[in-house]
Amino acid sequence: MLDRLGTSLKDALKKLAGKTVVDRAAVEELVKDLQRALIQADVNVKLVMQLSQAIKTRSLEEQPPKGMTVREHVLRIVYQELVNLVGSAGEVKLEPQVILMAGLQGSGKTTTTAKLARYFQRKGMRVGVICADTFRPGAFEQLHTLCSRIHVSCFGDPKEKDALRIVREGLPAMSGNEVVIIDTQGRHALEAELIQEIIDIQKIASAKHRWLVIDAALGQQAADQARRFHEAITIDGVIITKMDGTAKGGGALSAVAETKAGIVFIGSGETSDDLERFEPDGFISRLLGMGDLKALVERAEETMAGQEVDVNAMLRGKFSLRDMYQQLEAVNRMGPLKQIMSMLPLGNMEIPQDAYDVTSTKMQRYRIIMDSMTSTELDDPSVMGSSRIHRIAIGAGASPEEVRELLRYYKMMKKALKGVRGGQGKFNMQRMMKKFGGM
Amino acid sequence: MFEGLRARLQKIQGTLEENIAKTASPADTAPQDPAVSGTGPEERDPSLLSRVRVLITDREFFISEKDVEEPLFELEMILLENDVALPVTEEIIQRVRADLTGRRRKIGESVEGIVVSALRGAILGVLGQGFDLLTYVRDHEKPVKILFTGVNGTGKTTTVAKVASYLKKNGCTVVIGAGDTFRAGALEQIDVHAGRLGIKVIQHQAGADPSAVLFDTVQYAEAHRIDAVLADTAGRFHNRANLMNQLEKIRRVMKPDLIVYVDEAVAGNDAVVRAHEFEKTVGADAVVLTKADMDQKGGAAISIAHTIGKPVMFLGVGQGYDDIIPFAPTRVVDELLGVSA
Ligand SMILES: Nc1nc2c(ncn2[C@@H]2O[C@H](COP(=O)(O)OP(=O)(O)OP(=O)(O)O)[C@@H](O)[C@H]2O)c(=O)[nH]1
Ligand SMILES: Nc1nc2c(ncn2[C@@H]2O[C@H](COP(=O)(O)OP(=O)(O)OP(=O)(O)O)[C@@H](O)[C@H]2O)c(=O)[nH]1
Ligand SMILES: [Mg+2]
Ligand SMILES: [Mg+2]
Repeated sequence: MLDRLGTSLKDALKKLAGKTVVDRAAVEELVKDLQRALIQADVNVKLVMQLSQAIKTRSLEEQPPKGMTVREHVLRIVYQELVNLVGSAGEVKLEPQVILMAGLQGSGKTTTTAKLARYFQRKGMRVGVICADTFRPGAFEQLHTLCSRIHVSCFGDPKEKDALRIVREGLPAMSGNEVVIIDTQGRHALEAELIQEIIDIQKIASAKHRWLVIDAALGQQAADQARRFHEAITIDGVIITKMDGTAKGGGALSAVAETKAGIVFIGSGETSDDLERFEPDGFISRLLGMGDLKALVERAEETMAGQEVDVNAMLRGKFSLRDMYQQLEAVNRMGPLKQIMSMLPLGNMEIPQDAYDVTSTKMQRYRIIMDSMTSTELDDPSVMGSSRIHRIAIGAGASPEEVRELLRYYKMMKKALKGVRGGQGKFNMQRMMKKFGGM
Repeated sequence: MFEGLRARLQKIQGTLEENIAKTASPADTAPQDPAVSGTGPEERDPSLLSRVRVLITDREFFISEKDVEEPLFELEMILLENDVALPVTEEIIQRVRADLTGRRRKIGESVEGIVVSALRGAILGVLGQGFDLLTYVRDHEKPVKILFTGVNGTGKTTTVAKVASYLKKNGCTVVIGAGDTFRAGALEQIDVHAGRLGIKVIQHQAGADPSAVLFDTVQYAEAHRIDAVLADTAGRFHNRANLMNQLEKIRRVMKPDLIVYVDEAVAGNDAVVRAHEFEKTVGADAVVLTKADMDQKGGAAISIAHTIGKPVMFLGVGQGYDDIIPFAPTRVVDELLGVSA
């Protein structure tokens, strides 16, 4: 049933193939199929309606960029709007911090608490957890068992009834750790006393992060629930659990919309190792039941890479990381840089030997690192300070040194391009870029 | 539960009635027209002559697709926003449309009556019958063996405790089998519940074979002439073949009389997918929907019942032992539509 959905979306996309003008009927059909897919994935119905309106308007009003077919144009808009809806991954820093877990009954807080402990532990940090669930039978034993399996200390008292007291006593007891995670009992928006309890817990703990744990199967109820939690303790990260089932996790997007917080992690199994950093593209593919949307869009963008890279701006010295990213993408498809360079009439352009020495694996690494950068950083690399470098490194699973190396490479390229400015190279550069795009 | 849905359904009822009344009103003013009173409840005649006749004489008496199109779209949005899964929503809409459009409104028949019966019929049609556990236990050979299944965290263990308490209060003897030997803290959890309720629980150590535990529980019940065996199981996803096989083995070994599938009322579209898979692999005789207190929507009840065609037995409405209510479909639907029964 669900696979059929992906197919019908693909069929609708096929109808746009070969068209030279944007066909209203075909766009409408596509939007309708998209709506079905998203609603089936539990995305909030109102969000779906807003999204489809935006897609419709943009598809019909925006001119397809030169070199892009109608189908690619629409596809790209769909993709961009979805990326917008899903948001980027929430930040996770490897620094001393207290994390407060919150969520509905049975959403997976306790399991995820242990998973997070494992995550930070693997990154070399000292971790302790506090069991502030004094309500659910066996809650302490559950958390304690999970923690002892990974040798993480767990504070709690199955006989104590007062969660606030546990937190008050647990924080100093756990102060020898860099990361402290507080597990709480399940609660929902309509339970006023329990909502008050978590407000009070946060007053005591002043947790740096308040993460909302959401079951991937949660339906339209997600928006109301997330709103209430956000009002109570200002949620700054969302975790989607049980993504190893067949649910699509669309409900969590309501939480993203309500809290403006990013999704930080995905839970994908019952053991403490089943935790993944959130990855928007994979998530979108799953939402739509369509594996290759990003690839399709990339292919479309590649065909017009020549147009997209603003050669003239680059020659004016405005060569940003974004331009370099596109260049690397183009190069990536064409083989070793040196080989390409040697094919081109580069005139007096002096490219240092080092630039050639970038292997394709390196380039792949560079692209991954750049994927973790914000638009500001891509457009204006001069903002890059050590804390940004640190963040990017974590996001990309790289070392800060690798990020710095990338920045050095970028500066080198930029300098090399500046050298071309004014000379006969200009013409050649344009040719080169065209070639990159066309191949 | 269902409060949000109720308010909005009653509003849509109003819109539908208005639209239908509007088209029908000119005819209302001329009920003495002999041609009108002459048209019986016969089907639409395809012949041109009769179509023309209908057009001329009592066109207004047909409820056309156009009259209901807009309110039906609104109804569709309402159902979707209330977590009724998409395919189920489409079926309800289809039924209401078929029931309303092309239909000849009989003289004297109230618009409200038409609309209410169309909606009521459509929703009842997908909700199905309820399931009265007490009657079942009373009439059945003892011990009645009940196996609880479902995906992770839906409320199986809590439901086992609630049902145990419910049966005990109604004069039945109960034993619980601690069939979740896998999840950390599961044994302690069921132990505390059973202890509080004063109910015997049979358990082996962590990691033991759940089939063996539940087999022992059944033996215990037989030896002690206990009315009902409630078998808890570990949560598992329907796409994990080995875990589903394990459940299948449990079923073979303990031979349950009833398999109760537990899911939560706040689940969205996946509720349909997994209910279907559980039904297919180990079967299900009845459904319990938990966490109905979280939510005033409750569309999952409609979706699941419809998908697997099995009755909803209880709604879980909180974490206390008494937070469980037997599910009666007609009452729910009448409440939804604001019909006084
Ligand atoms: N398959 C799978 N199961 C999960 C995942 N996360 C949690 N679970 C299971 O879901 C069930 C509930 O998880 P818990 O961690 O107990 O949930 P909780 O939010 O702490 O529950 P309460 O404290 O009762 O509110 C358990 O059976 C977990 O093993 C996941 O990512 N995948
Ligand atoms: N609000 C509310 N919470 C419920 C209800 N039923 C169960 N819960 C809570 O949901 C959480 C999970 O319940 P469990 O009974 O442990 O769920 P389970 O299906 O046995 O979980 P696993 O064995 O881990 O798969 C607990 O915190 C329960 O107290 C209900 O009807 N309403
Ligand atoms: Mg817990
Ligand atoms: Mg359980």
